[in-house]
Amino acid sequence: MTTIEHSPGFNQIAVEDFRITEEPFYLPIGDEVELFLAAYEQKVPVLLKGPTGVGKTRFIEYMSWRLHQNIGEPSEEGVPLITVACHEDLTASDLVGRYLLEGDDTRWIDGPITRATKVGAICYLDEVVEARKDTTVLIHPLTDYRRLLPIDKRGELLEAADGFILVMSYNPGYQSALKDLKHSTRQRFMAIEFGYPGRDQEAEIISKESGATHEIAMELAKLAEKVRNLKEHGLGEGVSTRLLVYAGKLIHQGITPRRACQVAVVWALTDDLEVQRSIEEVVTSIFEE
Amino acid sequence: MSSAAELSARYAPDLKGFGASLPDELVLGLDGLEGRYDEAQLEQWVQAGIALANHSLRSWEAASEYFRVSPGIAERMTFDQLQHWVELSTELAGESSLMAAAFIKATPSALEQISVADLDAWSAQGGRLCRGNWKSIALSGLYFQHSPRLLGSLSLDAVDRLVDIIDQLTERSYELANSVLEGAGEIFENLAEGDREPFLSFARAVTRASWADTRLYFERGPKLLDGVDDRQRAAFLELASKVTMDVGRQGFPLFADAAASLTQIEHEDHKEMLAFAAAIAPASSTASMEYLKSAPFVRSRLTPEQMERWAEAGVELLNMGNAEGAEAYFRLESTRSEDMLSALSARVELPSVSTMLRMYAKALSGEQVAVLSSEELVDRNIGWMSESAPTTEGTTIYLPPFVNTFPEQASNFQVYKVFTTHQTGRMEFGSFLYRFDMDGFHTTSSAGEREARQAADAQQTTVPVADVTEDAAGTTESAGTSTEVQRYFNLFNDRLLISGLFTIAEDTRVDAYVSREYGGIRPWLARLQERESERRPEVRAMGLRQAFVENLLRASLGRPDTIRWPQTLQGTMGQALAALKVVEQRDATVQDAAEVATVLYDLAVRIPNIPQEAIDIDWVPPDEEMIQIAPDMPGGGDGGDAPMPSSSEEMAFENPEQPDFRGDFKPELVQLMMKLKDQQAGQQDGTASPLTKEQLMELLENSVEITISEWAEGDLASSLGMFLDNLEKDAGTPAGEPKEKDGESGEERGGGDGADDEELKAEVDWFYYDEWDFRASDYRPRWCRVGERLGDEGELDYYQEILEKHHGLVMETRRQFELMRPESFRKIKRLEDGQEIELDDAIEFHVDKRAGVGPLARIYSRRNKVERDVAVAFLLDMSASTDEEIEKQRQKYEEEEEDFQGDPSKYFQWLAQRRARQAIEPPKRIIDLEKESTVLVVEALEAIGDSYGIYGFSGYGRDNVEFHVIKDLEEQFSDKVRKRIDKIDPVRSTRMGPAIRHATQKLQDYDAKVKILIMVSDGRPQDHGYGRDRTEKEYAVHDTKQALNEAKRVGVTPFLITVDKEGHDYLKDMCDDIGYEVVDNIESLPRRLPTLYRHLAAD
Repeated sequence: MTTIEHSPGFNQIAVEDFRITEEPFYLPIGDEVELFLAAYEQKVPVLLKGPTGVGKTRFIEYMSWRLHQNIGEPSEEGVPLITVACHEDLTASDLVGRYLLEGDDTRWIDGPITRATKVGAICYLDEVVEARKDTTVLIHPLTDYRRLLPIDKRGELLEAADGFILVMSYNPGYQSALKDLKHSTRQRFMAIEFGYPGRDQEAEIISKESGATHEIAMELAKLAEKVRNLKEHGLGEGVSTRLLVYAGKLIHQGITPRRACQVAVVWALTDDLEVQRSIEEVVTSIFEE
Repeated sequence: MSSAAELSARYAPDLKGFGASLPDELVLGLDGLEGRYDEAQLEQWVQAGIALANHSLRSWEAASEYFRVSPGIAERMTFDQLQHWVELSTELAGESSLMAAAFIKATPSALEQISVADLDAWSAQGGRLCRGNWKSIALSGLYFQHSPRLLGSLSLDAVDRLVDIIDQLTERSYELANSVLEGAGEIFENLAEGDREPFLSFARAVTRASWADTRLYFERGPKLLDGVDDRQRAAFLELASKVTMDVGRQGFPLFADAAASLTQIEHEDHKEMLAFAAAIAPASSTASMEYLKSAPFVRSRLTPEQMERWAEAGVELLNMGNAEGAEAYFRLESTRSEDMLSALSARVELPSVSTMLRMYAKALSGEQVAVLSSEELVDRNIGWMSESAPTTEGTTIYLPPFVNTFPEQASNFQVYKVFTTHQTGRMEFGSFLYRFDMDGFHTTSSAGEREARQAADAQQTTVPVADVTEDAAGTTESAGTSTEVQRYFNLFNDRLLISGLFTIAEDTRVDAYVSREYGGIRPWLARLQERESERRPEVRAMGLRQAFVENLLRASLGRPDTIRWPQTLQGTMGQALAALKVVEQRDATVQDAAEVATVLYDLAVRIPNIPQEAIDIDWVPPDEEMIQIAPDMPGGGDGGDAPMPSSSEEMAFENPEQPDFRGDFKPELVQLMMKLKDQQAGQQDGTASPLTKEQLMELLENSVEITISEWAEGDLASSLGMFLDNLEKDAGTPAGEPKEKDGESGEERGGGDGADDEELKAEVDWFYYDEWDFRASDYRPRWCRVGERLGDEGELDYYQEILEKHHGLVMETRRQFELMRPESFRKIKRLEDGQEIELDDAIEFHVDKRAGVGPLARIYSRRNKVERDVAVAFLLDMSASTDEEIEKQRQKYEEEEEDFQGDPSKYFQWLAQRRARQAIEPPKRIIDLEKESTVLVVEALEAIGDSYGIYGFSGYGRDNVEFHVIKDLEEQFSDKVRKRIDKIDPVRSTRMGPAIRHATQKLQDYDAKVKILIMVSDGRPQDHGYGRDRTEKEYAVHDTKQALNEAKRVGVTPFLITVDKEGHDYLKDMCDDIGYEVVDNIESLPRRLPTLYRHLAAD
């Protein structure tokens, strides 16, 4: 990795150079790993669907590390991972690049997609639906078999390097009818659906990530299951695994389980007093203190 | 000759003209007086008597009495005194000889109570009552007759005051006065001495305040007082007097209510309560009596200390000068009061926690369960449970209406939690999923074999049993049964016994699961189990078999040490305990519970249910080994016991009382209902046949789960039929889900359920709202009940007619509104020209230009009209006043335009014309105009695309506010809505407050940036009970105002339109800074309404 700056406090790395060097913990729920590997080999773009906190980002990190294992090729340090957080005001320039003023001159600077295309990285567009549709369509050429990125301002066409793959994430339950993926975009991707893991698996994840004991992790997974039964009451999608990991971490640090669940689960999920109370009652039924 | 004889001889002739007895009386009298007075005196006496006799027409009666009575009283008087008495009599006779006669006659007994000196006063009292008319004479006579008795209990002064009262009563009713006088003697006699004066004072106060109540008081008062602690009666009466003098007419009713309440409270507490009431009475008499009235209720919820604190809060209100508020507080009609009560009370009421428990139950079970009070199940007459036990049928959890087990509120809430968790446990852990002959986790099923054996045995007795056939799935199916559990129960002769054992086994299993899975609630479960085990009935009083089962229950509560069982039969008990432990293990299923119940049955059935006296063995607790026994199914054999004792006298067997934290368990019924539901949902369970009515009947007759005890006398069949209908009705509409609009086809609705049965078509949803009492400055909690229902549908033609009639107006309105519709929804950027320059784009352009790239400068943006996100609710007044014809309204305000110049023919002409007009077109009513305006508004809103709802309101009284949905906010506009508009008809009154609150709630539940509430009315708010009386206006106005403000506070903009010309009067008050409009000309309403809307929705 070429580090731009290295100080005792932090690392500053160029975006296209960001690689995962240590194996991130990821517990496969189904066959998603195999699917992604196959897609990568075949250069098929991937759409990750699922609620928040369920492991989509972690999965991609894992895959970027994992792909490194499979590629004994030039860059031995793994496939770079470039993430773009999408939002409503995202413009084409933000993605592709723009000219900047430098003194009296101008300098072209590549956007994240362009960088990814050049180095053959995994380009991960997070919450792609947030972006405006006229911005989203510019990735269409990248999803074709041609894998071309047009840079209009420079009048250039960029062919993607080997190893480039486009990945998007998308939360179907969250959007209103207005903000939905156009079919012309959707149908360029294969979709892997992510859901909440089963109790045992979730417990393993919690335990591994937070350092909490297996018993506590099982109880937290049980709690999650129960709370997810309350989906309609303004809880959106239910409690994410991430929150459970937070709770586990707190418990590991010595916070009492009930308190940990209160701050990491109940209060994070909802502001409605009645719903809060109900969830707290479930917490107190499960945990003794 | 003695002077007596001589005198009588001399004067007797004078008396001859009067009644025959008079001379004789004279003689007797003289005889009696002879030794006492000298001749001169005697002569005077006689002459006085004769004078009396001659005094007036009937006065000889007085004289008669005079002669008769004198000897007796002469013993007490000197002659002078006697003279004086004679004068008194004569005076009275001057008014009425009847009265005089009564006076004289009563004197002897009177003198036993009063002294001679008091005779003046006494006679004056009677005299006072006499007014000359014969009624008053009779009264005064009555007075003299009864007063001696009175004087026995009251002082002369007191009697004087009583006479005052009676005197006052005579102004209204002599009959009343008489009855009071007649009853008074006994009343006062029966009162304790210290109570008499106060009773009298209160009587005075009552008479002054409301004379009609006096009779009630005298009739019922003493009885009412009986309920009050005897030492406190005087104080109570004093308080009542003060209150009555203060409040007037309400005095007696308040007293009566307070007395009735005190009767329900322990006497020791009366002193304190009355002291408290007396203390606050100066500030507000009404409040003090209301306090007493509410005392029993409050006392049932709070301990004395808690009640004190509750009362203190009320006193604070008084101290702040808010007397009305304090009155409402003590009357328990204020939110403050109720809040205080629930905060202080240890008792937890179900309504306060049911929403939360519902979510809790939903979370734990994963099912859409509802939580209802068990009272509902009893009401619905499904007839399966006692009121205070929790239970479930798989979709609803029924809980007791309140819990008061422990002295702390938090603990009682935990009790509710344990109840709920046990019920959700049944759902979560599959208590109702029993399948016939399926193996459990720890046991294999013996049901199939048992059934086969049973069939074989039956065949030998040549009674054919239902065929047992195998279906495609290979499972055996019995054609005669309807549910799996029923089939299982059919294996046993003693259904009661197996049902009880199955319950124990299954409950043990569920308890064990709950304990394992929910560590947090484990301590409370344990606590309740402990508590239950301490309250079990005495084992030795039961029959042996019943004792056996009872002991098993105790083991299931975790207290095997409380078992008591005959020494020589320990083997059997050991086997049973071991079996029970099987279901406590991890992964045990309901199948295991069934199998365990089976073996327990086999053990129990061997034990005769004989009383303890018939057994001559010691009953001992189990030893350590048995308590710690390992789970194990019995292998048969008697476990080393001595032979069972036998006796001919067996007792009737009953299952042990079910611990309340486990609630009722009715698997047969539940499976039945599940099956019915499936059938109605059109699903057929592949392995079982659909239920026929006969099967149902058979099931019900055989099942022990249903106690059809309180049915009407008459045939069981019809009762069962009713029960069945209820069951089906219940199964068809699982609790918590909205019911279908049309009643279920074909099935008869049995057993009236009150509101449901009224109209089969309209389903009514009930909602409760508080009402604002401006005098008390507080809300009356849950005061109004709003019934929301869909409007009736009429004909499509009406809508069309209106469109055609107002064709021009409709087109114009549509056009106006279409212009308002925005073209796009957002900020449009990257325009060549526009309102604003977008900075980012401008910079980029500039830089690109520098780089030599030259696209067009698209750096402007424009905002189109803000995204329209409006929701509006129209509330139409459907009160009876809208039925009024507009003509009539107009006539109120306008003068006749025509001036007929005194020419009658012109008048007739005009009248004829008018009649002709009316014949063609029926007179328009206000409601008609409202409807037409609605049509126009609807067209307008469809053009612009805003979300809207149309509702009508009316009703009568606070319990029945009608809320008609013509078009709901989420609803799409359709023919149905058009038809409903046709059917808008006037109903009754105008209780605006709750209607506004309900509409506000609807808007709140809807998602929109701008929310508007438009109310169209034709008059002021008024309704039965909407104010102190029908004429009071302020209460209704204030409540409406409060409701409007509440709407504003949650972001809803209200607006009032009225066609009442006097609208400004009250609307000014009602709508402080809320918009309103009084439409001058009613007929312009259709035109005005859309325009108003446009302005309102524009900002």
